[in-house]
Amino acid sequence: MRAWVLVLFLALGVWAQENPASPPPDLPPEVFAIARELRCPVCQGESAAESNSGVAAEMRRLIAEMLQEGKTEEEIKAFFVDRYGEWILYEPPRRGVTLWVWVLPVLGLALLGLGLFTYFRPKKPLPPELLEEAERRLKEPPA
Amino acid sequence: MVLALGGLFYWGMQRNPKELPSVLAKERRPAPDFTLPVLPPYRKEWGETFKLSDHLGRKPIVLNFWASWCLPCYEEAPVLEATWRRYKDQVLFVGINTQDKEGDALRFIERFDLTFPQVFDPRGRVGVDYGMYGVPETFVIDREGRVVVRHAGAIDQAGLEKYLKEVLP
Repeated sequence: MRAWVLVLFLALGVWAQENPASPPPDLPPEVFAIARELRCPVCQGESAAESNSGVAAEMRRLIAEMLQEGKTEEEIKAFFVDRYGEWILYEPPRRGVTLWVWVLPVLGLALLGLGLFTYFRPKKPLPPELLEEAERRLKEPPA
Repeated sequence: MVLALGGLFYWGMQRNPKELPSVLAKERRPAPDFTLPVLPPYRKEWGETFKLSDHLGRKPIVLNFWASWCLPCYEEAPVLEATWRRYKDQVLFVGINTQDKEGDALRFIERFDLTFPQVFDPRGRVGVDYGMYGVPETFVIDREGRVVVRHAGAIDQAGLEKYLKEVLP
C-alpha cells in the first residue's frame, strides 16, 4: 500500500513538468525555418529564430502572418531586405562583392589540390644515356 | 599576401559594428505610413489615432522611437521635449512608444512632461517598417515626406539641431 502511495506521488510530478520548450509552441516550424535565415537586428550573432528580443518576436509574428497570406519564403525575405538591407540575411547573397565569400574557399581548395599534386607527382626517370654517362664518370679515376 | 591580409584585418577593425545601414535614409525613401492609437493624455488634441500620411508634406517631422525600459531614452527625453518646445511652429515631433506597456509608458511621459504627441505600438510593427534596430532611434522626415536622417542611440541637443537645419528652410 505504501509503495502505491509513493508511486502515485511520483506520478503527480509529471504534471509539474512544463512541455518541452522546443519548438516553441506558439508558431509553426516553417516560421522558425525562415526566421533562422534572418538576423535579429538588436542581437550579436543570433538569428530571429533564437532571440527572445521584442524585435525578433515581432519578426516571427510577421513571418507567420505573411505565410498565412500565402507569401513565399523568397517574398518574405525580400520584405525584410527591403527594410533592413541585405545585412538582415544570414547568408551573404551569391552575387556582387559577397560572391567572393562563396568562391574564394573553393578556389583556395583547388589551388591547394594543384600544389599537392605537382609536389607529389611521380618523378620522371632520368634518360638512360645520362645514367650511363654518370656511371662511366664515376668509374673514371679522378684526374 | 601577409600584407594584404593584414590590411584587410586593419580595415575590418576600423569599422564600427554599431554603424548599421539605414535603407530609408540612404535612399531618401518616402516615410512608411502608419496608423497607431494615440496615448490617452494626447487624445484631446490629436484624436484617437494618428495617421502619419495626414501630416506628411507640410512640416518636417521628427519620429522618435522609445520605450520606458530603455535607459538612453531617459537621457534624450528632456532634449527632445526642450527642442520640441523651441521648434513646435516649424517641426512636428512624434514619439512612438514601442514594445512597451501602456502604464509604464504613461509614467515615463509624466516624468518628463512630454508635450509632443505620443503613439502606442506595443508590437513594434512600425519599427520593422522603418528598419529599426533598437530603441532609441530617431528619424527625420523632410517636407516632401522623405526620410533623410536615421540616428541610432540617444540624441543630444547639438546633433538634433544639426539635423533640423538640414530640413528647415
